[in-house]
Amino acid sequence: MRDPYQVLGVSPTASDDEIKKAYRDLARKYHPDNYHDNPLADLAQERMKEINEAYEAVQSQRKRGSAASSTASGYARNPYGGSYGGSYGGGYSGPFARVRMAIQQGNLNLAEELLNASPNHNAEWNFLKGVICTRRGWADEAIRYYQTAVRLDPNDEEYRRALDMAEGRSATYRPSGFESFSTGACHAAPCLPLCFCFPFCC
Amino acid sequence: MFGYVLPSGEYMSEAAKEQFQGAYCGLCHTLGHHYGLAGRMILNYDMTFLAMLLSEGQGTLCKKRCALHPIKGRCCACGEASFDTAAHCSIVLTWWQLQDGIADHGFFGGLKCRFAALFLRRPYQKARKLVPDFDRKTKAQLEALASLEAEKCASIDAVADTFAQLLAGAAMEVEGETHRRVLSQLFYHLGRWIYLIDAADDLEKDFRSGSYNPLLYRFHLQTGTLTDEARQELSHTLDSSIRSMAAAFELWNFGAYHAVIESTVYHGLYAVGTSVLQGTFRRRRRSLRKKEKQPYA
Repeated sequence: MRDPYQVLGVSPTASDDEIKKAYRDLARKYHPDNYHDNPLADLAQERMKEINEAYEAVQSQRKRGSAASSTASGYARNPYGGSYGGSYGGGYSGPFARVRMAIQQGNLNLAEELLNASPNHNAEWNFLKGVICTRRGWADEAIRYYQTAVRLDPNDEEYRRALDMAEGRSATYRPSGFESFSTGACHAAPCLPLCFCFPFCC
Repeated sequence: MFGYVLPSGEYMSEAAKEQFQGAYCGLCHTLGHHYGLAGRMILNYDMTFLAMLLSEGQGTLCKKRCALHPIKGRCCACGEASFDTAAHCSIVLTWWQLQDGIADHGFFGGLKCRFAALFLRRPYQKARKLVPDFDRKTKAQLEALASLEAEKCASIDAVADTFAQLLAGAAMEVEGETHRRVLSQLFYHLGRWIYLIDAADDLEKDFRSGSYNPLLYRFHLQTGTLTDEARQELSHTLDSSIRSMAAAFELWNFGAYHAVIESTVYHGLYAVGTSVLQGTFRRRRRSLRKKEKQPYA
């Protein structure tokens, strides 16, 4: 295992508060919400596991070091836990159980085939089409499918959440110092050209 | 088609700016070393970004002189093997885009591209041998793109996918499964973003000339400008790609180029996108060119 301090990006002499802050920043960065329906979710999950283990290791090291202070503030284990895969796996039923299973296994072509063969284009069908598009990075179509799903079943939490995420309404991680930007609402001028040859190159 | 990927000047430290300039000049020298003056002429910011992403991020700088900076010279990135790969890929990419331009326009319209292709023929023949897989993939994807354009495809995802896949092909040039997966996702969304932003930038021109532009069909536009609703939907999809790039970026260590790439994916791309959607990007670039030319006039 790597040095836990190195994993957290702090020096071994850092204070407890600094360590907690570093841990929180990292946990926000690799939070499942940032990797929802993302093909790299497994890598983020691995990273998160490593960070949690490092944080626990540091905590227990320090607790042993200062044994006298018996009531070391125990940080709740993995407060940013959650699922990276969404809720497509596990025991579910319903007409689209096989589709969800295929998505869970990353077999998008099979999932799409199954959906295309189904005549019942209800809210869930549209939602699952949206999930497949999201996984492929086809955001424009994903949003349209999610919108249809929400219109057909406005009360479903899962569909609404997916639409919010796709349209960028849920809070996502950004490094300290950066504001939350979006295309169309960002007023800074792009960086200046560097080199005289710019006029000839483009 | 290129020149949209700009880091954010506001959010970069002086050291990061130096690294970016080093990468830009470093790539220019690499292109010059392999392909001569014709190679240098294709340099742009997007290719610099490609080079930084492919790089191991050593960030060693050394001073080099060139025709444009003969006396003082400039700090250049040196000793980065990835810059060679980036240079080869850039040549291949530019070549196929010129071919595309020749096919798209008539004899006279395509003269500019033919002229440029004349100079790039030899560099291309060299580059295709060095990155044969990328060459094959680029050709195939641009053919797929041309056929979607011919059938006037209304799905911006499908059209942008071809160019995105093409750029993702550059990720196959690196070693290591994780590195490749992260870069492939990053390049995919970079390509998708570039294609869409280029379509938005060319919208008015394409509308006037009657050329195909996916946004005209996707949003059923009756004029050469986006409606407010269309602009909002397009910015949602652009934002989504930028967020995917940022998410992938956080999973790999880009070393010396970390700050430059960070400022690009967390601010620069949003700023360029806003500027393009407002229709001020080209105007600003033109006025910058004028300003740059003055000292030499």
